[in-house]
Amino acid sequence: MDRRLGKAITRLALPCCMAIAAIALAGVDFVKPTSAAAAQDTGGSHGPALRRLNEGQYLRSIEQVFGHGIRVPGRFAPPLREQGLLAIGEAHVSVSPSGLEQYELRAREIAEQALALPGVRPNCANQGNRFDRDCAEQFLGKYGRLLYRRSLDAAELAGVVAVSQRAAATSGDFGKGLQAGLSRLLVSPYFIFRLERAAAAPDAMGRAVLDDTSLATRISFLLWDAPPDEELLAAAERGDLREDAKLAAQVDRMMASPRFEQGVRSFFFDMFGFDQFAGLVKDQAIFPKFNSELARDAQEQTLRTLVNLLVTEKGDYRDIFSTRKTFMNRGLAALYKVPAPSAGVEGWAPYTFPDDSPRAGILSLAGFLMLDPTHEGKSSPTIRGKAVRELLLCQPVPAPPPNVNFSIVQDDSNPLLKTARQRLIAHQESPACAGCHALTDPIGLSLENYDGVGAFRSHEHDAAIDATGTFDGKPYVGLLGLSQRLRESADPPACLVQRLFEYGSGRAVGAGDNAWLETAITRFETDGFRLPALMRRIATSTALRSLGPALPEPGTQQANLGMLYRRTK
Amino acid sequence: MSRWTRRNMLRGMARGAAVAVSLPLLDLFLDGHGEALANGAPIPTRFGTWFWGCGVNTARWFPSTLGKGYDLKPELAPIAPWRDKVSVFSNFNCILDGKPNLVHWSGVMATLTGSAPLKGGVTGGSAEAPTLDCLIADHIGRGTRFRSLELACTGQSGVSYSMRAGSTVNPSEVDPIQLYRRLFGPEFADPNKAGFTPDPAIMVRESVLSSVKDDRDTLMRSLGSADRQRVDQYFTSVRQVEEQLGQMLQKPAPAEACTIPKAPGQMTLGPTWDVATRTHDVMAQLLVMALACNQTRVFSMALSNAGSNLRKAGEPVSFHELTHEEPVDEKLGYQPKATFFIERSMETFATMLKHLDGVREGASTLLDHSLILATSESNFAKIHSVDNLPILVAGSAGGRWKPGQHISGNGDPSSRVGLTIQQVLGLPVTEWGSGAMQTSKPISEVVS
Repeated sequence: MDRRLGKAITRLALPCCMAIAAIALAGVDFVKPTSAAAAQDTGGSHGPALRRLNEGQYLRSIEQVFGHGIRVPGRFAPPLREQGLLAIGEAHVSVSPSGLEQYELRAREIAEQALALPGVRPNCANQGNRFDRDCAEQFLGKYGRLLYRRSLDAAELAGVVAVSQRAAATSGDFGKGLQAGLSRLLVSPYFIFRLERAAAAPDAMGRAVLDDTSLATRISFLLWDAPPDEELLAAAERGDLREDAKLAAQVDRMMASPRFEQGVRSFFFDMFGFDQFAGLVKDQAIFPKFNSELARDAQEQTLRTLVNLLVTEKGDYRDIFSTRKTFMNRGLAALYKVPAPSAGVEGWAPYTFPDDSPRAGILSLAGFLMLDPTHEGKSSPTIRGKAVRELLLCQPVPAPPPNVNFSIVQDDSNPLLKTARQRLIAHQESPACAGCHALTDPIGLSLENYDGVGAFRSHEHDAAIDATGTFDGKPYVGLLGLSQRLRESADPPACLVQRLFEYGSGRAVGAGDNAWLETAITRFETDGFRLPALMRRIATSTALRSLGPALPEPGTQQANLGMLYRRTK
Repeated sequence: MSRWTRRNMLRGMARGAAVAVSLPLLDLFLDGHGEALANGAPIPTRFGTWFWGCGVNTARWFPSTLGKGYDLKPELAPIAPWRDKVSVFSNFNCILDGKPNLVHWSGVMATLTGSAPLKGGVTGGSAEAPTLDCLIADHIGRGTRFRSLELACTGQSGVSYSMRAGSTVNPSEVDPIQLYRRLFGPEFADPNKAGFTPDPAIMVRESVLSSVKDDRDTLMRSLGSADRQRVDQYFTSVRQVEEQLGQMLQKPAPAEACTIPKAPGQMTLGPTWDVATRTHDVMAQLLVMALACNQTRVFSMALSNAGSNLRKAGEPVSFHELTHEEPVDEKLGYQPKATFFIERSMETFATMLKHLDGVREGASTLLDHSLILATSESNFAKIHSVDNLPILVAGSAGGRWKPGQHISGNGDPSSRVGLTIQQVLGLPVTEWGSGAMQTSKPISEVVS
């Protein structure tokens, strides 16, 4: 495997004459990270993370703790993407007053509904207004542990029970008291945020590590994007996660659970920027087939394709660029001009694009092609090229310099510049722009046979589209040609490993993580680029529990885990 | 009527017939600048920010003459009926002084936070300090049910120019129906209703939030400084909502101008021009009544994001794209398609002024009792220039601000406007901002 880790691992901005031009123009060093970013990149101690639950995680927590059927009201704050991932942004956000209003509202309504569920409401709650301390302690202790993802200490429990007691006195109803106590747990920062704690003692190597329940939480959000269940929590509390075999057994159990599919979906939702589907709009006068349903279907199709290839069939990650197997429903069939499936689960049926079709791999699906919230009436080769670089290859593209004059650009009524390629070439004649556009545009322009929502076209404004491109110096033609180049490249698998680790640990990798990352990438290759094997390795790694830089596993331990893994296969 | 107090007598008259009553006002019932409602309650001062994206055409927006009675250029023409209530500020700059010009971000953050930001760009970024609406809400917003309201008109809750320092925006209300429910839903207490009984359920809620604060100390101990700041913000929010609940346990002060608006119907949301301006109009009316009914004193409204995605239906390119891609028409001297949005943005701001000025309060209007800071992130968006930022301030803060002037800053930092507003609204600040944006020089011409 041709390994060019430098790009993927150190996250340096690409060498780019545009960045230099920007520096010259503005007289500032754009590449230099701000002090906060620099602190994160030292590869030193990272400390325990504090991550706000996102909307999906909140909803899944409620469902996992209380069961189905609870309606969760209110708006969630918009997510923040930092250094390529929402999972990293979640470690940088807080709760605004209007956000707290929503959490408070949710807490009350969830508590009320939960206390009405026969499986949740304790028998001891039905005794009128007499305050029963044992009942309250048992009930709030039980749900507090599940919501906080750890047991409450005595003082915490006493505080929550006191709220219950006051509320029971005010309302004259013990059940209402329990409801207030539950509400108190739900509005606590220990529920709304995933607060990690350091273990009291360092590990055998003398390194600072997470405590057991914090590790359990990292593992379960990595694998399920949901909190630990009772079994994992109990295992963590017993100290099982410090024993390799028991840790591996928990991880294997979790990966065998149907919830693992949700975990994989959540990860790719984040890695591929699917949050941009929220509120995605295209102009219906220009793209009559577009509506919010089609956008939802496009997202669903790509996620189904990924889960099928990577989880169900345990396929090679690199095949995401070449697989012709996907899932189809009526709306997408019309967009792709293929026969609509006659039946299927929720309107979806497995579908394989024929060999002569212009569709293969996830780049050819609408889930990639229409995902551009900044252009509602056309496709943008620059944005598409940037998406390939940043999302699939982990190569950040610098932002445009502030003082560019765009006056020659993309006047799409110019009779001399009919296609996007012609207009962008005119733009690239400006040296300040040329550097970065050379990174994005050759990729994006080769995708121009697919319009702003992903329908195939051969012409733009009566001019034939020239879909030639080069990737890493190698020429190709069209989206399928690009996909083939990506299939052969070492960068997408390296990017996946980097993103998965960042997703699990909630921080961007830094120089101190390079050795671990390099080893992990090699092992991913040895594993035949199988995603479940990679996730298992990360979930069981000492890197995931480390509070310092991720260091390579001690050889013996890793070999044992490797053997264990082969045995379970 | 049980007692012949002055307050009751005036209230009786106000609710009765249209009889002209002339009574000398007693100073006791006036606020510092001489105005009180007929029921005797002093009229509060309000503050709001109103944001539009992608700047202006300098020659078509800024007046040529300074002082009162300034001339109105085509792009400012829509505010003509309120010219004497609107001040225009020109040649106030975002001074970068070595910091990057973060496109569609630096300009607005400089004016609203007094500091050029270090991180951000066309999709947003972080703030070095809290925005003006937060600072002012902390000062004048504590006595109302909502310390402030954030609103956006394109259906995206992340569109908000209200931030505490850091990366967390105060997300906007984008759906008029939800805004209505939040303001005038079951928890709304009509300030003009006679009876009032505190709701025990509110007391329970208050005690829940009060108990959450017990988590603070142990939580803070386990965190690094960056995370401590985030937790601090969380607990500040807890305290604010607790205070809001506390307000709901007290009988609201009467508000004469308050009439409960009709609930809005379902409407489409999104960034096409007609849809966004319709949303703006409905939300503006709800906002004005929220102010008149003392539900809040502070707001932050965004017509769109800074890299404006407003678009005419059926047109492939947005306002933001137009500013960069549309050639300047040689005959006209400007970009006609992009300029459509600049002119319409000012018309939309004028409708906000109309709604505010349409509410009578005492001898004047809600607008007169407010300061509304309207601004954009660029001067000329095509080249992302942040010198000569377009800044308007409408209203007169109940007589404490001399309205209707055009004032040139001669290249001073735009933070001078924010400092002046804070001082006029009674915040104890003598200097504001950081780096080259720091200033201790209020704009004395507008202070009365």
